[in-house]
Amino acid sequence: MKFQKTQNNLDYNHPIRPPSTVMKLDRLGSFHQTRLSFTRRLIDDLKYQKSKIEIHQWDIDNSGIGSAIIKIIFKNEILSLIIFCHSINDEERTDRVIAEKWDMTFSLFRGIPNKNELNQLSKNLKIQESGRHNSKQLTLSRANKSQRIFEKVLNDLSIGKQPSQKLINDVGYLVRTTAVYGNGKFGIEDFSKTNGHIFLEKPFQAEMLTVYLVRYFSIELINFLAKKRGGKNSVILSKHLAKHLGVGNATGLGMAPFLVNHQELIHQWIYNRETALSRVYSIKRLDKKTQNRIINYIHQAFKYSLQWKVDDQLQSNKIDKLSSDLKKILQNKELTKFLNFDYPIRTLFDFYKDNITLETQEILNSVFIEPFPELFEDLLNNMGADEKKSVSIDYNVNDILEIIKYNYKWALKIDTTKPEENYCFWYTSQTKLEPRLGITKKDAGIDKQLPFDIAHQIKQTVNILNKLPYDMTVAEVMVNQPKLRNIIKRIITNNSLPYSEIQNNLIGKDMKPIDILRCKLSFFGASKFDPKSNLWTRITLFQGAPLPNELWKTNVNDWLFPNLPNV
Amino acid sequence: MISVSLNEVYSETYKALRSVNIEWSLAKDCANKAKWLAQHGQYFLGSILKTADLYNKKDISISINKNTSKQPLSSALMALLLVEYVSANKITWEGYIDSTKFLLAAMGIIAEEQKIYLILENEKKDIIAFTNDKTIYVNSNLDTNVTNYYCLKKFDFVNKKNTKFTSFKKNKDVTNLNDECWKRLKSMAFETYVPESETSKYGAGY
Repeated sequence: MKFQKTQNNLDYNHPIRPPSTVMKLDRLGSFHQTRLSFTRRLIDDLKYQKSKIEIHQWDIDNSGIGSAIIKIIFKNEILSLIIFCHSINDEERTDRVIAEKWDMTFSLFRGIPNKNELNQLSKNLKIQESGRHNSKQLTLSRANKSQRIFEKVLNDLSIGKQPSQKLINDVGYLVRTTAVYGNGKFGIEDFSKTNGHIFLEKPFQAEMLTVYLVRYFSIELINFLAKKRGGKNSVILSKHLAKHLGVGNATGLGMAPFLVNHQELIHQWIYNRETALSRVYSIKRLDKKTQNRIINYIHQAFKYSLQWKVDDQLQSNKIDKLSSDLKKILQNKELTKFLNFDYPIRTLFDFYKDNITLETQEILNSVFIEPFPELFEDLLNNMGADEKKSVSIDYNVNDILEIIKYNYKWALKIDTTKPEENYCFWYTSQTKLEPRLGITKKDAGIDKQLPFDIAHQIKQTVNILNKLPYDMTVAEVMVNQPKLRNIIKRIITNNSLPYSEIQNNLIGKDMKPIDILRCKLSFFGASKFDPKSNLWTRITLFQGAPLPNELWKTNVNDWLFPNLPNV
Repeated sequence: MISVSLNEVYSETYKALRSVNIEWSLAKDCANKAKWLAQHGQYFLGSILKTADLYNKKDISISINKNTSKQPLSSALMALLLVEYVSANKITWEGYIDSTKFLLAAMGIIAEEQKIYLILENEKKDIIAFTNDKTIYVNSNLDTNVTNYYCLKKFDFVNKKNTKFTSFKKNKDVTNLNDECWKRLKSMAFETYVPESETSKYGAGY
């Protein structure tokens, strides 16, 4: 792999970690936000675009019900977030996708809607998936107020008191979204239509902008309501507490199939992350200032780990181990000495890697990438991918068998006849049309399962191909046996895009869907993963991110692992 | 009429075809061709519904070797496989095929993605369409969507004689669709969904 040498003494190319190391669910499920994550990219873009964010319309009453429009002015375009706040009972408030009512509903819109459009939006946004939506809408979303914190913060502010730092830190958000739909869902604009748009054509930027604006709205809303309730006695939320509030999100299995269905995109994200890492491992020398920055980021990661509290016992144990690993590293008197060696980052990582958990390894990797955005500007601008519809015509049976031998060793090792390797199946549920997991021996619906049994398909393919002439083109194989097309297409894609396949049995008993979710969410830029089971997790987005009125500042995007002092 | 997105065209099409037990790969190929046709200003929805019906009644073939005028090769399902096969094996294929616009979509897709030059002729050897440098050109004087005997091959040179060809242009979306047809497609797609079991709900935050 070639890249430009920089002032950071890159004089060799550290090998990129192989897919057999990276593409395992336990590692993918240990990923954290990095400088390549989409929330971070959004802040870069908002700054670069000199975007202005302002409230265009505010028709919210004293109880917080009504509508608002937030306007985002870019160099050449205006977008707006349309917001409707509804009245719902506490018992109707659930943060899972199965809900039918929400405190707030949103849509990111191209331009400012006219009266008719606003009228349509007011009818359709509140019913979300059941509504029919407009092709000027870029996203569709909803959120609920946090029952743990919203009312307490409002009460404190209205009597002139700042809320407790501990409370703000423990929850981390005022509102929590349950889904942010994009890419043509329910009639909204297709992602392909953003082609050529300097900002929106990057993956998930419309969705991230929506969440960033929801965060801004949640802060404006609580300040507004506090003033209405407390009048002259009220105060607004202090800047440092406001900044420590992100937006919550509850994410379930709906997100999991994405990583299986979008091979090209997943390869691009993970390959770029690994390439960025190999570049920082290739740095020969670090100056004092950069050494200190790295030590500071490890400190920040350590403090973050102490403030990362979850109920889930397994994750809680992982966080405890993470804290103790990081503490050990920080207490090592040789730390500065390591950073003075040649190839200091690689040396430091190699010294510790066998004695720290995957959670710690991957948080360190996020730390190491952080100070060097100039080393991977090309990667930051290249997180999208074109997905091919046809299968390359250049392969024959022998080629496919060879690719399987090298790239699918992991699948060949699995005994697909064992019951535990056939434990579950994926299907789309009638309720909310979300993917779900069924238990093979218990549940109905296996005849409608989604084709995520990759290891099983690989083994069947080997059996069939071994009986065919080795020089037969795969096109001929597929035209005669169309059932093999799906897996042959995957194999060929994986040959040129090796980070496109999760190397675990996705229908096995040991598989934890939560790992798939966390991998994707880390690329979004999520923090404070808070698993509620193996099937869904809460997270926070944009915690610590700059507020809209700070976007012009230098180092505005320096907010990895935010934590509050004295918590 | 109902306005739908290209993503909806893709996802509802493949699910609808899965509901009549069409292979995953064929259903997805068909969905990609439907999306391509929509992007290029061509109607597709009626042909998808008809394909599902014919497949159910076994009145359509998915064999490139066994097809007749009464049971033609399904272009909606098999066209992408066919153009790949003709391209990879450098052969001339002849046979009966229906809904030819899906074959044109497949030719367009492989031209865009793999820059392969193909030519489609009818029984009288009139050129129906050819691909050249990522673009498909279609004979504007002939009906290009009738079930008939066709010939598909790779080519080096096209003698266009005096025939007028027009290229299919992207970004002329036909995503305003007949409401009833769309409802039918969606109801077929719904058949692929499964009622949630109690075990599925366990731990999923209900």
